[in-house]
Amino acid sequence: MKLNKNFDRALWAFHVNTGSCNGCDIEIVAALTPRYDVERFGIKLVGSPRHADVLIMAGPVTRAMAPRIKRIYNQTPDPKVVLVVGNCGNTTGVYYESYNILGPIDHFLKQIDPDVKIVHIPGCPPRPEAIIEGAAKAWLVLEELRGEA
Amino acid sequence: MSKCSYTLPIGPVHPALKEPTMFKFVMDGEIVKEVDVQPGVNHRGIEFIGMRRNPLQVLHLAERICGICSIVHQYAFTMASEKAAGINDIPERAQYIRTIMAELERIHSHVLWAGVAAHELGFDTLLHWTWKLREDVQDVLEYISGNRVNYAMYYQGGVRRDISPEKIPRIKEMISAYRREFQKLADAFLEDPLFKHRTVNVGVLTKKDALETSAVGPTTRGSGVPKDVRVDQPYGGYADLDLKPCLPEQMGYPNTGDTYAKTVVRILEVGQSLDIIEFCLDNMPPGPIRWEMNVNKVLMHMKKAGGEAIGMTEAPRGEMIHYVRLDPGDENVSAWKVRASTYNNIIAWQKMLVGAQIADVAIVAASIDPCIGCMDRVTVVDGETGKEGVMTKEDFYRLSVRKTRRLRRMKGKPSGGGW
Amino acid sequence: MMEPAEADGKIKRLTGEEIVSLFRERLGDGVVDTRVDVYTNGVRKKPFESVWIRVKRENFRDAVKLLAEVHSPLHISVASGSDIGDEIELIYHFQVYWGMGGGQISVSIGSRCPKSDPRFPSVSDLVPGAIITEREKQEFLGVVMEGIPDGRQLFLSESLPPDVHPWRKDEEELKKLEKYIRNVHDEGV
Repeated sequence: MKLNKNFDRALWAFHVNTGSCNGCDIEIVAALTPRYDVERFGIKLVGSPRHADVLIMAGPVTRAMAPRIKRIYNQTPDPKVVLVVGNCGNTTGVYYESYNILGPIDHFLKQIDPDVKIVHIPGCPPRPEAIIEGAAKAWLVLEELRGEA
Repeated sequence: MSKCSYTLPIGPVHPALKEPTMFKFVMDGEIVKEVDVQPGVNHRGIEFIGMRRNPLQVLHLAERICGICSIVHQYAFTMASEKAAGINDIPERAQYIRTIMAELERIHSHVLWAGVAAHELGFDTLLHWTWKLREDVQDVLEYISGNRVNYAMYYQGGVRRDISPEKIPRIKEMISAYRREFQKLADAFLEDPLFKHRTVNVGVLTKKDALETSAVGPTTRGSGVPKDVRVDQPYGGYADLDLKPCLPEQMGYPNTGDTYAKTVVRILEVGQSLDIIEFCLDNMPPGPIRWEMNVNKVLMHMKKAGGEAIGMTEAPRGEMIHYVRLDPGDENVSAWKVRASTYNNIIAWQKMLVGAQIADVAIVAASIDPCIGCMDRVTVVDGETGKEGVMTKEDFYRLSVRKTRRLRRMKGKPSGGGW
Repeated sequence: MMEPAEADGKIKRLTGEEIVSLFRERLGDGVVDTRVDVYTNGVRKKPFESVWIRVKRENFRDAVKLLAEVHSPLHISVASGSDIGDEIELIYHFQVYWGMGGGQISVSIGSRCPKSDPRFPSVSDLVPGAIITEREKQEFLGVVMEGIPDGRQLFLSESLPPDVHPWRKDEEELKKLEKYIRNVHDEGV
C-alpha cells in the first residue's frame, strides 16, 4: 500500500550535538515550540536515529564526537538528509584552531558516504525561520531521493 | 558491588554544560548507589584557543562558550580583562546597560529551564507554554541587541549599543506582561500536586554538602546558603541595588535543598530580575556608553597593558569566574581560565543523585540546570552477566513519564488529558 | 548595614590589608608577594576588594589552612594555572565573607613549581570542592597534585594521550601537541 504523500512530509528529526555551544540547540527547540511551531507540519524530534528521516546536527566536531556522528549517520535509515545548523557545524566557526576540534561535519559524513545530502544553514545561531526554511529544503531533497520530483 | 548492582552509563552528549557530561551510575535495582561524572566530550579547548588571540577577539569566543549564558561569560571576561589592563572608569550608563542585559538573560534562562524541567516530567503542555512566554523576552533581547542569541553587547570599556529612551517603553511593556503572565505559570508549577510529588524530597542537597562542595547558584540557594555574587560582591549596576539572595523560605517553603526548593528559587529570581531591570531603566545615568570610542585605541591599550585579574558574575546557574593575565610583551591573552557555574556543581550533583530512583535521575540532573534533553543514549551493563543492553534517551524519558502517570493514577486523577 | 554573621558575633571581619598582614605575620618568609586591588562599581561607587597572595610551594597548604581560619567553610571558585617560562603557576581563587549581604573578598593564593619538579600539594582534603579543578590542572598543565584522592583524567580522557598538556607553552610540549592541532581555516580539513 502506498502511503499518503502527507506522511512523507511529516519529517521526524533526530538532534545531534556534535560539540556545539547550545546556541543552535535552543533555537532548534524554539522552532518546535508555539511561536514558530513546526510541529504543526508533523515535524518532530524523535529519540533515536533509527526512527529519523532527518538528522539535525549542530556544532564543530570534537575529537570524541567524530566516531559517534559516523555511527549515528549509519544508524539512520535511507533516504535521509542532514541539516547542519550553524556556522560551527558548517565551517568550525570561531573554534578553528584547537587541538580538540577536528573539522566541519560534512567532512566526516563524506568519509563514510560520498553522496550524503546536506542542507547547510549558516548563522550564529540561525534564526528559527532559517531553520524552518532548511527543513523545507530537506523536504525537497527527500522527495528527489524518493524519485517523486 | 553487590550481586544485583549494575553499571549504567548515560551520555555523553549533554548540551548545557561547557563540557557535556557522561554519567556512570552504579545501580542497585532502581536506586542509584554511586555516580561518576565524566565530562569532556564537548571539550573544545576554548582556553587554549583564547590564549592564541587578542582580548578583543576573545570577546567573541567567550560569548560562544555557552549559547544560553553567553552574556555572563562575556561579562566576566570583559571585567577581568578591563581590570587586568587597568581600565577602571567604566561609564555608569554602560554599567547599567550591562546589568539590564544580564538580567534579561537570567529571565530567558530560568524560563527555559522551567520548560525543560516540565518536559522531563512529561508535562509537555507546560513546556510549550513556558517557551511561548520565553519568546517575549527573546523579542526584547533582539530589539536591544539585534540577535536572539549571542548578543555581542559588551566590550572592554563599555557596551556596543545604547538603550535609548525610545526603546524603554517596549522593554517596560515586556516587564508588565511578565508580571501578568508569569504568576499563572508559577502556579502551574508550584501548586500542581503531581509536580510536588515528583520534586519534593527528590534530589536533596543538604546545607552541609552544599557548603562543603562549594556549590553555586540556585543549587546552593535552594539549600539555604545565601551565596550570590550580585549580593556578596556587587559589580556593575548591582552595586546601586540593595539586593537580597532569593531563598525558598521567602515563599514559605523550607530551605530543604530538594528539586522543589530549587524551582522556588528560580521563580523568585525571575521576579527579582524584573525589578532590577525596572530599577535600571528608571535610574539610568546619562553620559557616554564607552570609555574610548575608538576600538583600535582600546586594542592598543590592551596590547601594552600588563596585569592579572578575576572577573566574577552571577550567571543564571551561579557564580562564574574568569581569570585573565595580560603580559606587556604579548599581544594575546597570556593566561585565561574560565570557570562556568556547573563546573562547581558537579560534585554537588553526585551527592544529589546518590539514592535517587532511576526514573528521577532526569529531573534531579536537570535541577542544577544543565539541559538533559540531549542525553543521547544510555547503555545498561548488567553486573552479573556483563550483558549490554542499550536504552535510548526515549526509554529513559519514558521511565520518567511513566512514573508521573503512575502517581497520577494513585492520586485518582482521570488519566489522559487534563494537563 | 547589619551583617547577619557579624551580628551573631561569630567572626571578626578583616579588611583586605588586614588579611595580607595576617598572612605576612603567620607565614613569614613563606609569603613572596602580596597585592590588594580595590574596584568600585555603580553610581554609588561601592568598593570591593581582591587580595592576591603569592606563597612558596611548601607553605601553600598552610596558607589555605590559615585562610580557613579567616572564614570557614571556604568557598573555592576555581584554581587557574599557567605556564610562565621555567615555572608553572597555580592560583587558587577563594572567596571569604560570602553570604553576609555584601563585602565578600576574593582571596587568590598563588604558588609556583619548577617544570623540572612539577609537584604541587593538593588541598582537596581541606576544601572538597577543589577536586574537579585539581584534576583539570593535572591533565592540562602536567603538574602532579600530591595527595589528590582521585587523580583520573577528566576532560581529555577521550581526546589526548595523558602525556600531552595543552596549556604548556614550552617547545617540547608544543611539539607533542602540534600533531593534534587543526587550523581548519588555513589547511582545510
